[in-house]
Amino acid sequence: MLARAFPILVTVAIACFGAAPFLIGAAPYESTMGLVQKIFYFHAPSGMTMFAGACVAGCASAAYLFTGKASADRIAAAAVELTVLFGAIVLMTGPLWGRKAWGVWWQWDARLTSSLLLWMMFVACLLVRKYGGPGSAKLAAAVALFGMANVPFVYISVNVWRTVHPKTTVVPSLGAGMRGPFWFCAATFLLLFLVLLAVRVRLAEQQSELETLSLELADRPAT
Amino acid sequence: MRFLKIIPTPVVLLVLWMGALAPMQAAQPDPASQPRTAPPAAQNEYVPLSELPPDEQLPAVPLVFIAYGLIWLAVLVYVITIWRRQSAVAKELEILKRQLRS
Repeated sequence: MLARAFPILVTVAIACFGAAPFLIGAAPYESTMGLVQKIFYFHAPSGMTMFAGACVAGCASAAYLFTGKASADRIAAAAVELTVLFGAIVLMTGPLWGRKAWGVWWQWDARLTSSLLLWMMFVACLLVRKYGGPGSAKLAAAVALFGMANVPFVYISVNVWRTVHPKTTVVPSLGAGMRGPFWFCAATFLLLFLVLLAVRVRLAEQQSELETLSLELADRPAT
Repeated sequence: MRFLKIIPTPVVLLVLWMGALAPMQAAQPDPASQPRTAPPAAQNEYVPLSELPPDEQLPAVPLVFIAYGLIWLAVLVYVITIWRRQSAVAKELEILKRQLRS
């Protein structure tokens, strides 16, 4: 089913990613920030995708820890990588917007710092998987689980603490001309996440198959 | 002067250092007596971005282009790394399968 739908998903994702700049260009200018506010259309959806990635990684890690299923570990590994990718996009585009809107590249406030910590947790997860040696998959799963637990705190940080970052009420209060492009971009990023997740899981399956075949070959009696 | 021997040397040095600093502190002018100059308007009141002098305004176009460029680049680099890893694994799988068949 997924194998048949995959080429369609890829085509739709590429088409959406190509169409997004035109929709963003046609969206009205925000009155106080002007042109630089257009970064928002990719920055916020990247953040949403980072949260989605963290949740997928956390849930798959929990499934792997409690059931020991290799398929859950493969999904977790793929989702962790994508969380790092979309988190990097958030952390790169945010300061570019902030420099113009706030006058500073970075501020050690609750939202920015907690987002950086969340991203660093998933980077740690990747490093544990790569260099942790035997048993590192379980350790990485535990780190990813804690990473997922961090997501609600990052999300509500703007409402609880005083920060320079806009509150979560910004998205529901968007004007009619901005709402359409924003949700289109959000859907595009989530679709892109699904496509990349499927590709990365397939790669993990092939790597696992390679390991099995290598062991099989090593176990064969020498002729 | 024997009582001086029971005081640790660092304490003696600290007291001497503070004694040396005291005249310097006294020589400094009292900030309250200094005439106050008003800070520039941009430091003590809200100035809309559009009213800032041109040399203080940051152009938005390069920032927007850099942001979008970075996003496309990040996704592209990731897709390339997956593609390279996948082709390397596929090649190794093919070799292993051939070895197992023979």
